[in-house]
Amino acid sequence: MPLDAVTDTTTTAVRRILEVRDLKVRMGSQEILRGVSLDVREGSIVAVLGANGVGKTSLMRALSGIYRTTGGTTVFAGQDLTNSPSHAVVKLGLAQAPEGRQIFGTMTVRENLLLGGRVRSQDRAARMEAMLELFPRLRERLSQKAGSLSGGEQQMLCIARALMSKPRLLLLDEPSLGLAPMVVKQIFDLLVQIRSEGTSILLVEQNARAALRVADHAYVMEAGRVTLSGNAAELAADPRVQAAYLGG
Amino acid sequence: MIFDIFLLQQVINGLSIGFVYALMAIGFTLIFGVLNVVNFAHGEVYTIGAFIGLMVITALAPPLVAVVPLVLAAGALSGVGLERLAFRPFRRFTDEASQKSRAMREATLLSSLAVSIIAREIMMHLFGGDMQGVPSDYLLQRPVAIGPIMVATGSLVIFATSAVMLGALQFLLYRTQTGLGIRAVSNNQLGARYVGIDTDRTIVTTFAVGSMLGATAGILVGLYDGAISPHMGFAPGVKAFVAMVMGGLSSIPGAVACALLLGVSESIATEFLSSGWKDLITYSLLVITLVFFPQGIFGHGRERA
Ligand SMILES: Nc1ncnc2c1ncn2[C@@H]1O[C@H](COP(=O)(O)OP(=O)(O)OP(=O)(O)O)[C@@H](O)[C@H]1O
Ligand SMILES: [Mg+2]
Repeated sequence: MPLDAVTDTTTTAVRRILEVRDLKVRMGSQEILRGVSLDVREGSIVAVLGANGVGKTSLMRALSGIYRTTGGTTVFAGQDLTNSPSHAVVKLGLAQAPEGRQIFGTMTVRENLLLGGRVRSQDRAARMEAMLELFPRLRERLSQKAGSLSGGEQQMLCIARALMSKPRLLLLDEPSLGLAPMVVKQIFDLLVQIRSEGTSILLVEQNARAALRVADHAYVMEAGRVTLSGNAAELAADPRVQAAYLGG
Repeated sequence: MIFDIFLLQQVINGLSIGFVYALMAIGFTLIFGVLNVVNFAHGEVYTIGAFIGLMVITALAPPLVAVVPLVLAAGALSGVGLERLAFRPFRRFTDEASQKSRAMREATLLSSLAVSIIAREIMMHLFGGDMQGVPSDYLLQRPVAIGPIMVATGSLVIFATSAVMLGALQFLLYRTQTGLGIRAVSNNQLGARYVGIDTDRTIVTTFAVGSMLGATAGILVGLYDGAISPHMGFAPGVKAFVAMVMGGLSSIPGAVACALLLGVSESIATEFLSSGWKDLITYSLLVITLVFFPQGIFGHGRERA
């Protein structure tokens, strides 16, 4: 079977779920992303680190189809996603737990989860059950308004909502923001579990320590560009990263 | 005793006017919910509903129940067209500066005002500025005795239609995927995009639904009053707008309750004051609400995305 042999060589090669090449975003006269390139290997956790305002959120918004890009390409699971509308992106299997959480505060936790799963309606009940297993706190709050949850619970709801669409790649934008260290640890432990269930993760964080602990690979952004990248352990040991992001 | 019956009669008349305002106010509220902008052309949708109904009646003379679906379709179409013409062009801008800018919001307001003026001018041109009479077979003015009170068939038709439409709306919003999407976009438009909702499509659907209610209100009043004119949408548009503001801008139950309150107050007031004073009631209620309940009577501080 010569065909099998061919398939075999391609599967042993590293599969990339996401390939971003030279991505650019401009808002008015301001160039927010000046050519960002990065890869996410299937089944890995990749972290993007960077100070305030370097363009991390803009990168995530561009990937989710919220911002239009002015240059470069995004290939997701072998498909060109460049400038696809946000609803098409989610349908293809790329979901995001965005900055500021953006949950539906006046709607119930159940409705929030149902909305997360609306692009994949066949096994929605089973998905919901799986999410409630993963985030047991949400089960007690199913009929409560999402806006009445604590910050940590809202973050969990936000992640669970994104996972409801059964994404192949989950984007997370600062999931630790404003949360107590205990809760941050809980959420990062969950990320490892989510990855082990087959979802790749691209994570934006200012909490570099927490992010590098769980990540396989990491990128550092400065002023709309990637300036450093490498294996997470290597980066954690890099003196430049230690000085700038790990407090010396 | 006689006075009481008389009062009851006025309350019933007021409620039927109130339901007309409510149907209009719901359209305002739904559209304000998804876009955070007031749709100034909503009164024209009401007028279009009345004229389409009249045209259908004069051309085909169908049974009354057949007029309603056609008016609903006309309402939906004008809602979709209105959204395309006056609202969608301003949604291209995603940068923060334009999204937060007053100028952009005002531009959208003005574009709907412009569309409303154009629509009214076109109707003036086609039908003339005078009142058009309704064929007497279709008039809904026959009095029906219910116990000691007399109620016009128009009031009964308005009650029944409003009940059906409010029920259908509630079903749409709380029992269907489309409704879940409309509520999600109203609550948090950015969040809605992250869960994969096509927000443009949801907004168009909302315009269609809101305009269906508005157009139906138009034909009902046309048949009740027996006269239809290109200007007929203005006054109920203003009243419905006031009901929306009093109701807290984004609360449908609030808008309906305030619309009914307006209708009943006007109807009772006309018995004590000359009818020229009736609009004063509406505006006094608005001012009182804004002074004492700046969030509206049913408002709860809206979350903005
Ligand atoms: N919609 C927008 N319109 C105008 N400017 C924008 C917009 N979005 C982002 N910017 C600008 O782009 C730059 C990068 O912003 P971005 O939110 O991507 O940074 P960030 O790395 O996520 O920062 P933080 O760590 O504070 O979340 C900032 O200067 C910001 O003001
Ligand atoms: Mg950010």
